[in-house]
Amino acid sequence: MKVDTMEAEKIIDSLNAKFPDTISDSQIESEKRISAYAEAGSIVEICRYLKDELQFDHLSSETAVDLILKDEIEVVYHLSSFGQPLVLKLKARLPRNNPEIESITSVYWDANWYEREAYELFGVQYRNHPNLRNLVLPDELLGDWPLRKDYEDFPQKTAKNLV
Amino acid sequence: MAEELTSQSYEQPAPKEQAQEESIPGVITTTSREINEFLKKTKIQDILNWGRKNSLWFMSQPMGCCGVELIVAGVAPMDTDRFGIIPRNSPRQADVMIISGYVTRKYFPALKRLWDQMPSPKWVFCVGDCSISGGPFYESYSTVQNIDEIFPIDVFVPGCPPRPEAIIQGFVEIQKKIETKKDRGSGYEG
Repeated sequence: MKVDTMEAEKIIDSLNAKFPDTISDSQIESEKRISAYAEAGSIVEICRYLKDELQFDHLSSETAVDLILKDEIEVVYHLSSFGQPLVLKLKARLPRNNPEIESITSVYWDANWYEREAYELFGVQYRNHPNLRNLVLPDELLGDWPLRKDYEDFPQKTAKNLV
Repeated sequence: MAEELTSQSYEQPAPKEQAQEESIPGVITTTSREINEFLKKTKIQDILNWGRKNSLWFMSQPMGCCGVELIVAGVAPMDTDRFGIIPRNSPRQADVMIISGYVTRKYFPALKRLWDQMPSPKWVFCVGDCSISGGPFYESYSTVQNIDEIFPIDVFVPGCPPRPEAIIQGFVEIQKKIETKKDRGSGYEG
């Protein structure tokens, strides 16, 4: 099957032309998926450009990955579009000791709960988030960041009567 | 009247000091607890246990996917009604609490509160691997382990999830324990 990557190439060229300094490692993974790394400081402008100009009008998911060997936390945005069959995987690298990034709730309103979840599990601090508190984690666990790789209570060794 | 209602405080009153039991000469004072302790040594307890074991009403608070099996155990083909097993929605009307899933740290205070709201005598049993040992979540950061150290559990029903027949057999095992006075819910030990 011939892979038609015309649309994807157009989007990558447009992104690279608009943000030559802040977009890096952009590549076409398949006919449906594009991936790119963004500078953490300009994530809001990039998302606004993607939404207004390139028809990426839906934020599918937003999460974080703890890369403890590289000593950094990656924030991952999956942006998709109702008009074209494409998914853009946008990543931003943050330092592990102080992961702080601008919130994109001003662009995509549904990023609100995604960012609260990434905050309670990874400790990513989102600036200008309207309500940055824990989503489902109990209050006494807040601050432990349970999904980080160096979380002490995982694996839990207290279970005695294993089946 | 309205002023009284508005001025009424809904906070818990401060616990009063326990009044010492007065000894009245010529009158034997007793408490319901002492009566219960006395009845446990007599044959009347057998009749009480017969009544209790044939009306095990359980509290319907399904906690995980084993809750689906609890629903199946309550439908007509299983007919738990023949054992007197009826689901109740209120903990104040229930005799049995079924821990039917993983107990997360967030849910544990609510579960403890439900258990405290149930009137004694009350029994509790574990359904499913999650409540016995944690199941697939035994290493998780968010689950409470070793539930049997917290609640006086009489019967464990293993399975992932157990079939509704196994849940009914768990009830039958509780009935046998009540009949032979070996259950932990009636307080024979303490």
